[in-house]
Amino acid sequence: MSVVIGGPAPYVYVCTRMRVRKSKLLPREEYLRMLNMSLPQITRLIEEMEYKKEIDELASSFDGIDLVEEALSWNLAKEFQAILAITPGILKQFTKSYLRRWDIQNVLTIIRGKKQGMSAGKIKEVVVPAGSLDVLFLDRMIAEESAERSIEMLKNLPLYSVIEREYAGAVETGSFGRLENELYRQFYADLIEEARSGLKGGNQFLKSIQLDIDIRNIKTIFRLRGQPISAEETADVWIPGASFSVDELKRISQVETIDELVDTLRKKVKSPALVDALEGLREEKPIHEVENSLTRAQLDYMDRLSKRNPFSIYPILVYLEKKKYEVTNLRALARGKQANLPADRIENYLVI
Amino acid sequence: MVDLGVATLTLEMVAESQMGLKALGAGLAVGLTGIGAGVAEMGIGSAAVGATAENKDIFGLALLLTVIPETIVIFGLVVSLLILF
Repeated sequence: MSVVIGGPAPYVYVCTRMRVRKSKLLPREEYLRMLNMSLPQITRLIEEMEYKKEIDELASSFDGIDLVEEALSWNLAKEFQAILAITPGILKQFTKSYLRRWDIQNVLTIIRGKKQGMSAGKIKEVVVPAGSLDVLFLDRMIAEESAERSIEMLKNLPLYSVIEREYAGAVETGSFGRLENELYRQFYADLIEEARSGLKGGNQFLKSIQLDIDIRNIKTIFRLRGQPISAEETADVWIPGASFSVDELKRISQVETIDELVDTLRKKVKSPALVDALEGLREEKPIHEVENSLTRAQLDYMDRLSKRNPFSIYPILVYLEKKKYEVTNLRALARGKQANLPADRIENYLVI
Repeated sequence: MVDLGVATLTLEMVAESQMGLKALGAGLAVGLTGIGAGVAEMGIGSAAVGATAENKDIFGLALLLTVIPETIVIFGLVVSLLILF
């Protein structure tokens, strides 16, 4: 599977397709226009875009805001599966591993839903089958009578060992936070190992994973700021393997002033896009704005990398990420409009 | 005794071998440029197919861009004709 036949042509083919798809995503102006529309107008607009097929399919089972939300997640899942089908060789392997984060999300959703006694239909609505576990498998997992039985089904997957280890503790404490952290740590460790295994293009993949890890860690630092938590308690929220080691992150999270924090982070972070974003964080801001600006910096940097290496894993990853944020934005817009939030407040939550 | 070690070239033989080398040169001119065009078209062609798969409207433009490296072969053909005639 990891050998590409036909030289660089398949890479050129798939990267061009991703580039065209990326250019079809909604531009900033369109979001700003949508901010001034009412919910039915937004629904109609979404219906006229790429999401038409899903809206038509789901129109009989859902209506209003739920229809929009379901159509968006379905479209996302279908799109990611379609990309997986057209990527060749090593790129496919990398993309598949990268999309495994959706498996984690889905499995956790199912376990949490089952533990809280949610109905199967309700769980089904929030699951996004964009990873390697397909709809049928997830449906069967949801149909199982208890969370334990659902977990049993995962036996042959890399997720299983972590879930098996942490599940008892999670049930005891009633919180799945630690399980979630462990799953993501394992996920990133696996990705790094795969990228370092000497496959062609692994270095580029590694770079994008490390960027992702850095951004995640920095977001966590900002989230933990101002909360009276000792360094020891936060030990399991950090993800090692990128610019910062776990000990450094523990130390940085205890830094008091924001200027000092930004200075410490700047020393380690290499990419100019991130440095600029960090500079912008010197004054205190609400957490969602901090996260948004970091995400934007990440996307910009990945975009730049994809232009520097036009036929690599980058164009695919950039598209996957941008598509994800388009769906998140549209959902935020629709939900915000439904809750009658003012336009400028919704705008703060959009990654544009 | 006849000396077989030395062969004498007649005027006809010289003319014929000149013609042969010309033909070889002409063949190389078309052949190598053909390979060059093929290599160039590989990247453009796969990108063109990719772009057309996403957006059918650009088929005409994509086709035009794909055949641009064909000009190299035409140059090769012109050179080979010049050599031969």
